[in-house]
Amino acid sequence: MTTPAAVMIEARGVEKWYPNGFHALRGVDLTVHQGEVVVIMGPSGSGKSTFLRTFNALEDFQQGSIEVDGIPLSDDLRQIDAVRREVGMVFQQFNLFPHLSVLENLTLAPVLVRKLPKQAVQRRALELLDRVGIAEQAHKYPGQLSGGQQQRVAIARSLCMEPRVMLFDEPTSALDPEMVQEVLEVMQGLAQDGMTMVVVTHEVRFARQVAHRVVLMDGGMVVEIAPPEQFFSNPQHERSKQFLRQIG
Amino acid sequence: MAPAPPATLRPGPWQWLRRELFGSRLDGLISIALLGFLVAAALGLARWALFQAQWAVISANSTLFAVGRYPLEQQWRLWLLTTLLALATGLSWGLLRALPRSGSSGPPPILWPRNDRWAAAILVLLALWLPLALQLTLAIQLRWWAITALLLLARWAAGRWGQALPPLVRRLIPLIWPLLYLVGMVLISGGLGLVQVAPSDWGGLLLTLLMASFAILLCFPLGVLLALGRRSTLPLLRWGSLLYIEFIRGAPLITLLFLGQNILGFLLPGGLAPDRVWRAAWVLTFFAAAYVAEAVRSGLAAVPAGQLEAARSLGLSMPFALIHVVLPQAMRVALPATVGQFITLLQDTTLLSLIGLLDLLGTARTVMANPAFLGRNAEVYLVLAVLFWCCCAALGLGSRALETRLNPNLAPSR
Repeated sequence: MTTPAAVMIEARGVEKWYPNGFHALRGVDLTVHQGEVVVIMGPSGSGKSTFLRTFNALEDFQQGSIEVDGIPLSDDLRQIDAVRREVGMVFQQFNLFPHLSVLENLTLAPVLVRKLPKQAVQRRALELLDRVGIAEQAHKYPGQLSGGQQQRVAIARSLCMEPRVMLFDEPTSALDPEMVQEVLEVMQGLAQDGMTMVVVTHEVRFARQVAHRVVLMDGGMVVEIAPPEQFFSNPQHERSKQFLRQIG
Repeated sequence: MAPAPPATLRPGPWQWLRRELFGSRLDGLISIALLGFLVAAALGLARWALFQAQWAVISANSTLFAVGRYPLEQQWRLWLLTTLLALATGLSWGLLRALPRSGSSGPPPILWPRNDRWAAAILVLLALWLPLALQLTLAIQLRWWAITALLLLARWAAGRWGQALPPLVRRLIPLIWPLLYLVGMVLISGGLGLVQVAPSDWGGLLLTLLMASFAILLCFPLGVLLALGRRSTLPLLRWGSLLYIEFIRGAPLITLLFLGQNILGFLLPGGLAPDRVWRAAWVLTFFAAAYVAEAVRSGLAAVPAGQLEAARSLGLSMPFALIHVVLPQAMRVALPATVGQFITLLQDTTLLSLIGLLDLLGTARTVMANPAFLGRNAEVYLVLAVLFWCCCAALGLGSRALETRLNPNLAPSR
């Protein structure tokens, strides 16, 4: 890894309590540089998904600060919308819009939000579908596709907004085992093209091959941040060793 | 090639009849008893309708049933409106067939599918038979035939050349209907150079359909807003919507109608509810909105939270996310219940006769009170029931067509 470029996401001392009083994030710091792929791992309930969802304000936080591409996240709705335009998100459950065709899923946001001409957006959408390997399904509806295909459409849908950062929230956890690979390959290609990515996942192989840094979270805190080769072969913290034993 | 399904899956009509109705000795007995009962009832009804009933009460009062006391010299406006409606119906019907759903790549549409041929045939039969049966004058008979011919012609033309329309025109075509509604209001009530016809002179089917369509058109957006308000995170909005919905649903419509006659004059800005007819229309609207809100709320609850999250994380603003992502899915779930509410609303307009308006039922009561037609209640009520059934069936058919069209899993592209 070369010296990283500009800072893309800067989280400082993020604290979050759920309305029921649960302390979900306890002072989390993370800096993600442009072009970097950061994988967040951790046991369930460790706050990794919650933390990821604060980056595009799907979750609020009570203390600390987050800046995305230089824009601070606050309660200002216009700033939140500005951040969301630049941050793509892929969900565990795909969340494709079932009433729209695959192509319409891709073109909806660029046409409505970026006010781009429909023809141009459609052309780019078809290119993106080609890139994720499902160009021939453009006129089908999400319900007619397999899980792996749906998740690839979801990735293409986010890419169609030309985001500066992509967030992945357990993108392969809801997939049948034989479909995991096709989604991971698309993500790997994206990383090779220099996309800044933050990925919450349990896929060790993906983390080893693609990530620049691996973050282990537990109990709402960051336990360890390390390059994958070090994290997987020589973890520094007792909690990391325990976690790797459990998933390995 | 897949193997053909076994023959037992698709029995012939005779086999089916034997299996379903005469499967065992008891089944056979029950079937014969029920069939006998049905035949006896049908024969009785036919004998009454053909030999005992005196249909003069209907034919002599057909104008009254249709438009109430609408001034005779102004009735050309209603004929014009009917013509425009027939034209718009034919065009929409044809276009619906000519233009497949966006995004689908099914086979090219058929100009006259089987259901459409049936509908057209029934329409032609009705148009030929009804004016004759009502013993209308030749001039008026000719008008009905011309209007029917126009409808079918528009249907054919739109089906034939609809696909050649540029996309912009296609998108503007649904706007015909709200526009036609405004034109219709002007034609019916007057203004813009036309003589005013006071709402107290509207009556019969005209008043019933006008009240129902006004309430249906307005209660729908109102109901959607109330449903959204009820799920809002703003306490004032949420509690306000909840209070409104529960108050309306807790009161019988007839009470609200009487209440509306007395208080709507102060509640609504001047000019919106100037007389009894408009006050009743608003009460119907506000009443139905509460029920539509509940139907829409159930639809909203059926949309997974991830849909809104996905839309918002793509940068869509809240209104855009609601309009383009959440509401279309919610409406698909809420549509059957909502149309059910519309049908109820149409039937509820009969309550207007209790507050002294001459809707269909009110007109019927005045006709039956006429000494010349004393004791002809059965004929009048039967015709009324059939008329209401036709309107409600049309609403139901329309909603089913819409449901099929909205459901991507039934789209022909599969």
